[in-house]
Amino acid sequence: MFSLSVYCRLPTDTTMSLDKIGQDEWVAQVEARRAARGPLGRVLARLEAANPFVVGGLLFGLAALLPLLTSNDYVLRIAGNVCLYGLLALGLNVVVGYAGLLDLGYVAFYGIGGYGYAMLASNQFGIHVPTPVAVLVVVVLAALAGLLLGLPSLRLTGDYLAIVTLGFAQIFVLLTNTLDKASVPWSSQVVNVTGGPNGITAIDPLHLFGWELSGVGGYFYVLLATLALVLLMLRNINQSRVGRAWRALREDTLAAEAMGMPVRRLKLLAFAIGAAIAGLSGSIFAAWQTAVFPQNFDITLLITLYAMVVLGGLGSLPGAVAGALLLSVIPELLRGPDTARLLFYGGVVAMTLLLMKPRWRGVALLVAVLALGLVVRLAATALWPQALGPAPAPVSSGLGALAQRWLIFPANATLAGNLLFVLVIGLLMIVSRGRRPGVRFVLLIPSLYLLAFVWETRLAAEPSVTRLLFLGAILVLLMTYRPHGLFGKPRVEVV
Amino acid sequence: MLELLNVTKRFGGLLAVHDLSFAIDAGEIVSLIGPNGAGKSTVMNLITGIYTPTSGDIRLNGQSIVGLAPDAITRRGLARTFQSLRLFLNMSVIENVMAAAYPRTSAALWQSILRTPGFRREEARIRAMAEAKLAFFGTRLQGYRYDQPAYSLSYANRRRLEIARAMATDPKLLLLDEPAAGMNPHETEEITHLIGELRDRGGYTILVIEHDMGLVEGISDRVIALDYGEKIAEGSFHDVATDERVIEAYLGRRAVRSRQ
Repeated sequence: MFSLSVYCRLPTDTTMSLDKIGQDEWVAQVEARRAARGPLGRVLARLEAANPFVVGGLLFGLAALLPLLTSNDYVLRIAGNVCLYGLLALGLNVVVGYAGLLDLGYVAFYGIGGYGYAMLASNQFGIHVPTPVAVLVVVVLAALAGLLLGLPSLRLTGDYLAIVTLGFAQIFVLLTNTLDKASVPWSSQVVNVTGGPNGITAIDPLHLFGWELSGVGGYFYVLLATLALVLLMLRNINQSRVGRAWRALREDTLAAEAMGMPVRRLKLLAFAIGAAIAGLSGSIFAAWQTAVFPQNFDITLLITLYAMVVLGGLGSLPGAVAGALLLSVIPELLRGPDTARLLFYGGVVAMTLLLMKPRWRGVALLVAVLALGLVVRLAATALWPQALGPAPAPVSSGLGALAQRWLIFPANATLAGNLLFVLVIGLLMIVSRGRRPGVRFVLLIPSLYLLAFVWETRLAAEPSVTRLLFLGAILVLLMTYRPHGLFGKPRVEVV
Repeated sequence: MLELLNVTKRFGGLLAVHDLSFAIDAGEIVSLIGPNGAGKSTVMNLITGIYTPTSGDIRLNGQSIVGLAPDAITRRGLARTFQSLRLFLNMSVIENVMAAAYPRTSAALWQSILRTPGFRREEARIRAMAEAKLAFFGTRLQGYRYDQPAYSLSYANRRRLEIARAMATDPKLLLLDEPAAGMNPHETEEITHLIGELRDRGGYTILVIEHDMGLVEGISDRVIALDYGEKIAEGSFHDVATDERVIEAYLGRRAVRSRQ
């Protein structure tokens, strides 16, 4: 009945266009319709169909109001981080998303930017170059380093290129760690170049147009403006001969070469532009933090950046920014137990409603889980009163208190939580492999109940671990639900 | 226009092309035929610079192109299609064609970033060019098809798009590697007609590798037959088709004897 009504509704709002475009075109648009399926797909498709300047301008305008709405430094710092990660993800997107070069040395350019600015504007060497000059020099240096690392890409592709570039990133971290005691041939003294593990501190802030930038708000505006400019620049490059050529060589390098595109020069250009953006971000980062350390530029950051680009959709500009937004805001939201709890229960309810196929089934499942909790609670009150002991992590308000009065907590709740954690994972794996919807439905009822128990006894108590677990779960679910990322296009490799 | 002079290509112990010489004049349609493994595709790859010959010389408009990279050769006015299709599958139809205009455009990076009037003019020019090239194939690659990804096209349409893409590099000489492979008889007939159109209306000189003898007969001014990397016959379709060595290469010695 449900699906029938969906099909009946289709022609009413499409008859007009059907008459106009003809059956062929209707068939040809199947991919677009598939991408726009589901509630998330519909929202994203509508966003993509809108004028990018209007949507982008609106979003950036709203973001610019943020420092006026709050003077909370913590919030502004996260907002600044979103812009910074957005910039980095955009630069990575040029190399990986457009040109299709698997570059694992990308964070080294960010590091070159950070350390380059630090050396040019701090007491490390006693040099204090004016900001515009320093940033320009750093960006050019990073671009040159990008050209250098691009050279192997002329001969290597895929996994092999990844290994070589990964080596480059490791060498950079190693050098920054050890170059505090560099010996130079013409002098017997050791020179402190990078400060080693102690890094370089007391870096000059940015001086722009006679202003000395201080405070989180100022850096947020600089980062936001830079992000907007880089977005605009990359959009324009993407819709030009160079952008088309990049995508062409990603699709088929040999064919691109046979169509007269200078493949070597284009690959080097992609590396250089990606590296320049990373270098620019690095210099702003160094000035903002007023210190740089080797561990600011290690593999963890690289993995995070890749996750952002892939989550947003490879080759998509709004995707890279959206990925940066999600992956830097969600871990922060998970810091507070109350917001984490809201995200957890909200996420479970949303996923149930999204993934259970006839919608009523999802509702029925949630009702059944609630009922199971109440039945267990009633049974415990009657038969096993000591199981109603106090919750392991008492909360005062709202959702948490409600959840804890719904569940039961035996005396050794922590141990039970540990054991049930394993059981829940096993149950959920059986559910995900199960074929018969009836069995899945029945299994899901205790699974979700136990999941809530595990959350209250174990996960909510240890936010630092839970954050990572939760983030991982979100990534897995999102990428399963939308394998091409939020704003990516479904790609076809071989037909 | 194109000259091959004593070209030899050796892969280790295998002599793929041996002492091959032929020439193509401007405005000609020449077909290269031969049984499987005769070296036709190797010849194609030698001309387009994917392989370099072991010895011998290849000249385009009198200048040697041996040792040049494939993109440099394409910029000198030679473009090809691939036997196993190599479209930019995840790009739209019109983008496939516009991307191939790369060697004929000159807008610098800063111009495209700033969207200067010069850049906009050039962009409009190659858009119009791409639409004109696609119009060669009737309405099937027009209209809403422009923005469809290339992977959504049918097999025959992909072959057509490959030809349009090659045309967009603005070549004088078109090399078509089995343009009728995988097409039904009706589509083959259409492509036969189209290749004639390409020469007459498009002004291209054309070298075709083809197995379909109906197509070869329909279009060729001249046919060159290869076997084991050597030229065994050259001339009109009729001369080559009745040549003893050609029949032997395709059908074996018994077939030649039974004809006599």
